[in-house]
Amino acid sequence: MTFRSLSLLLFSFLVLAGASPGAIDFKTQVLPILESHCFKCHGEKKQKGDLRLDTLSVDLLKDRAAAETWHDVKDALNLADMPPEKEEPLTRAELKILTGWINEKIESVIEAQKSTGGRVVLRRLNRLEYQNTMTDLLGIEMDYSKNFPPEALSEDGFRNNGSTLQMSDLQLEYYLEAARKGLAKAIVSGPKPETYNLEFEKTVKDKNRGSQILDKDQQFIVKLKDYPEEGEVLLRAKVRAKFAEGRGYPQLRGAIGYRADTQAPRLFFDPIDVTSEDWQIFEMRGRIENFPLPSKTQSKFPGLLIWLDNAYAEGRDKPLKARGRGKKQKKNEGPLTYPQIEVASLEFTGPVFDQWPPSHHTKILFLSKAKGLAYADSVLKHFMSKAFRRPVTADEVSPYSNFFQAARPKMASFEEAIRETLAMVLISPDFLYLVEPSGASKRPTTDWELASRLSYFLWSTMPDSQLFGLARDGKLSDPKVLRQQVDRMINDKRSWNLVEQFSDQWLDVGAIQRVAINPNYYPKFDEALKTSMRGETIHFFGEIFYKNLSALTILDSDFTMLDEPLAKHYGLTGPKGSTFERVSLKPTDHRGGVLTHGSILLGNSTGEDSHPVKRAVWIRERLLDDPPADPPPDVPNLDTTNPDFAKLSVRDQLAEHRKEVSCNDCHRGIDPWGIPLENFGADGLWRDQILRKKTKGKGMTKLPVLPAATLPDGSEVIGIATLKKYLIEEKDEQFAKALTSKLFTYALGRRLELVDKKALRDLTTKFIGDGYRIKNLIHLVVASESFQSK
Amino acid sequence: MSRKSWHLPRRTFLQGFGASLALPFLECMGADTKTLARPKRFCGIYFPYGVSLPKKKNEEAKWQWFPNTVGRDFQFNESLKCLESLRKHVSILGGLSHPNGRKIGGHDTADIFLTAAELKGGQLKNSVSLDQLLAAKLGDETRFRSLSLSVDGGVGEATRSSTLSFSRSGQPVPALHNPRLVYNRLFGKEDRTLAAKRQELENSDHMLDLVLEHSKSVRRKLGKQDQEKFDEYLQSVRQIEQRVERSEKWLEIPKPEVDIAGLHLDADDKTPGELIKTMFDLMFLAIQTDSTRFLTYQMGNMNGATSVATKFPSLLGFGKSQHSLAHGWNKPGGAEALGKWDRFRAEQLAYFLQRLQDTPENDGTLLDQTMVLYGSSNSTTHNNTNYPLVLAGGDRLGLNHGGYHRFGSDVPLSNLFVTMMNRLGAPAAKFVDSTGEMTELVS
Repeated sequence: MTFRSLSLLLFSFLVLAGASPGAIDFKTQVLPILESHCFKCHGEKKQKGDLRLDTLSVDLLKDRAAAETWHDVKDALNLADMPPEKEEPLTRAELKILTGWINEKIESVIEAQKSTGGRVVLRRLNRLEYQNTMTDLLGIEMDYSKNFPPEALSEDGFRNNGSTLQMSDLQLEYYLEAARKGLAKAIVSGPKPETYNLEFEKTVKDKNRGSQILDKDQQFIVKLKDYPEEGEVLLRAKVRAKFAEGRGYPQLRGAIGYRADTQAPRLFFDPIDVTSEDWQIFEMRGRIENFPLPSKTQSKFPGLLIWLDNAYAEGRDKPLKARGRGKKQKKNEGPLTYPQIEVASLEFTGPVFDQWPPSHHTKILFLSKAKGLAYADSVLKHFMSKAFRRPVTADEVSPYSNFFQAARPKMASFEEAIRETLAMVLISPDFLYLVEPSGASKRPTTDWELASRLSYFLWSTMPDSQLFGLARDGKLSDPKVLRQQVDRMINDKRSWNLVEQFSDQWLDVGAIQRVAINPNYYPKFDEALKTSMRGETIHFFGEIFYKNLSALTILDSDFTMLDEPLAKHYGLTGPKGSTFERVSLKPTDHRGGVLTHGSILLGNSTGEDSHPVKRAVWIRERLLDDPPADPPPDVPNLDTTNPDFAKLSVRDQLAEHRKEVSCNDCHRGIDPWGIPLENFGADGLWRDQILRKKTKGKGMTKLPVLPAATLPDGSEVIGIATLKKYLIEEKDEQFAKALTSKLFTYALGRRLELVDKKALRDLTTKFIGDGYRIKNLIHLVVASESFQSK
Repeated sequence: MSRKSWHLPRRTFLQGFGASLALPFLECMGADTKTLARPKRFCGIYFPYGVSLPKKKNEEAKWQWFPNTVGRDFQFNESLKCLESLRKHVSILGGLSHPNGRKIGGHDTADIFLTAAELKGGQLKNSVSLDQLLAAKLGDETRFRSLSLSVDGGVGEATRSSTLSFSRSGQPVPALHNPRLVYNRLFGKEDRTLAAKRQELENSDHMLDLVLEHSKSVRRKLGKQDQEKFDEYLQSVRQIEQRVERSEKWLEIPKPEVDIAGLHLDADDKTPGELIKTMFDLMFLAIQTDSTRFLTYQMGNMNGATSVATKFPSLLGFGKSQHSLAHGWNKPGGAEALGKWDRFRAEQLAYFLQRLQDTPENDGTLLDQTMVLYGSSNSTTHNNTNYPLVLAGGDRLGLNHGGYHRFGSDVPLSNLFVTMMNRLGAPAAKFVDSTGEMTELVS
């Protein structure tokens, strides 16, 4: 199990370190201890508690019952239940050998049980893959996966692990619901609908909030008494910016709807930077039925409300009340202090479509001379082969065709019956899972399977027509063609899915959402910064990936990627809007490399202070692929009788508990990795002093930052700069192996096992030889036997 | 009993539904109160990492979660004082734990709170939870067999599950975490015609049959390992078929109307106070409308590293993350800090219990027909013994409340489960490792 429980928080200590790396020999090391301490009561003569150890099998792999018994023995030792008090206790060294040996054996049993035999596991599409696949398949943008139960991260931190992704009736219920909703939009019926086109130049006054000028609180509001209830709509806003000195671009944000009876709040479009003081027109598109439309039968039907507001970062997440709702706008005197937007007009058009029936309809219900059932069959065959990502046989079509025939007489129209039939396709396992038939031995993947593996690895969605075409011609597995395709796919904008998903999961950027900043320590911290922090890390990885820079740049760099709010937070200048830009760094900025990213520093903090142990574990797990062992049950707490303990800095507290021999075993290998980052507070900013709440009375005390540590190999590091230098000079190969292993895991959608060791070593060697280029590594992974066999 | 808007006129109801109904069900429609059995319910509520347990001489001793003396005359300490007005309807249980839980890691025990299972082998296979076992036996009479809720939602992963509920095959039952989604399932209306809905259900039924048939042939082509994974799918199809049949039965009975004033349906992990309260409100409404009788709510799981509940105390002004509070309880000031968080959680429970107690049902209250088990599977941070437990409600089901009981480590918590099952109408001689009933709790 990885070290993710964070059980190893500051004051829980490992009495028993996990198994030491060298194998423990049973006969010479373990048996003598058992003989002198255990066999008296659990041997030939007596079997207290019905337990006999001298004849208990030591081949845990073969004898599962024995494995369970040894496990119980280990627990009894860990909990100090055994030996009993009246008997002579085990020495620390003896205890370590005994539990170490049992641990080793049990680990190997667990390993064997979890083993996939080095083969890719049947895996269903995860939430994002499903969302993308449905969008591509139906050609309709909507939130298909909104109601799905959240998915767990696998042990190694990924969301696409076949063993971790579970199926349930609830999940299936929502698949069916999403399929029906999507198909109801994709396949239209009836004549071409009337298109509404309305233009508004003045806002509705709403308790003084309606305004042509959008500052912090004002909104441009329009009401539609009559509007379409289905189909894509288009908002066109004619606006211009009014810049404020030292501030970034104002951000235009549209919103539609509000439903009073169910209190469903309006939904927003993504904000757009308004980058010019000249008049510009911005477009926002969305399907109107995705917004909370008011009920027309409601007693006080308000009409449909459409809003424009200014989502400029400052304070945008604060509740309206706190921002002073309904205040009259001050007369404009002197220079602006907040960037504004002036609205000239807002145009509403909808529904809009490219043709009638729309192309998403004709892609499924294509024109054909066939009629009736024959037509339905050809529609089915066409749709199924896209949905199943492979050719389908007439036999496979027949249950669906049978369903259609049974449903058609009961349904009002052909379209209705075909929608239901296609919904059935979309709950079939062939669609929901990457189904790859297999026998007893490994076989090469087919070109169709390869197409799906590639597209879900690099794009998190189904293959496009070019991949399908090459699979059909049997050319995709040709190494030259494959290389070209991988290059093409990386250059396609869909590869952003790989950048975002892989970097987010590998580096556990999601951690920032699990930590709440304490405003007493960081009164100026704005929650919205978390979004920017996530953006920094992902765009940083993206920059290194797309420019094919050395992956060691991840450890240290002379640039980072920032948007305006985060640049401001860091005290840097450059970016003016919500787009992430490359910003050059000087050594005095104390930035560069992922270890200085707010996302990592905040995510591995307490929200009040740094958390050196969490940060250390993060480095070992994410950058070095060497997570510390889990603590045993019932780890003791540090004796906190020392009244001055709370006054110590975290570094000194850690030093204090490393004095305990039992704690030192593990913590000397953990703490030193986190201490050099002590110059960064929970907010990710540089500090020379640590704020600490006084234990008695109010106010804060200040403690100095002491970032010096001795790493496990004896190297001395002082602060972030020397730590980064050490990582690049001494741990470059280990880092390369970690990154390779994580990317390989992500590509295969399964955990790596012993059988993968050789492949991993080969990939790592080539990756290093190639100058640590991630694009090259992707080519290597795709070309590997593991990726191309089932 | 006054007639609520969701109580249909009996005639309409009978006309629509036909005569195939079991009688007990009718009672929520306001049928004769004397002749009909009232619903029997169970609700399991869990919180992670245990509670504050300072020693008696400690200056923060009043934050000791358990009362200082056993018996009926005990005094509540600070954390549970909010239960004082409900005193007659609650029992405090100390010393209990699941023996199988004592063998595993301190943070690994949430999964077995309601199952008592020994998580075995690499797969860490669980077994059926109390709520699901009861629901399987007794859950036929309501629109929903059971309702599983949690802060994180979904199933999570073994030893860090984000649900308390496990099916009879030991599969985790996904929990709902979004209040609006819960509301929509329980009470949401669709503006489609009955005929359209019926047709859709009929289609679902048919397509699931065909999919199941077809899936069996898919299964045959898979490798052994993949087959095991695939069985999850097959099982889900079978389960959803049952659910469709149930929906067909309930089709003509409109979902109950409830008042949404005061519900924060858009609360999420950024607004934990509103979120937790709304989940309790929704559970109350589910019980009040007899939408289901078997509920679980996990107020945070043990995955400190991935649970969104980790930050709740920080956001609510309790100073630290959930895990840090739990770890700090025996440091100066720590017992009080964690104690206040214990109290906050107990207040949520008290609010829920009070609502049940204040709502009449026939000649009693909702609470006296609802057994609520509230607690954690750690006493303090990592310790897997002496679970802090409150058992509430079910007075009319034969539970005898008002005392603080301490048990020895030889009494498995499963004995309580057996005691409960026997009084909820699902008689059982044994639950996993039980050794008998808890006579102390029975009147």
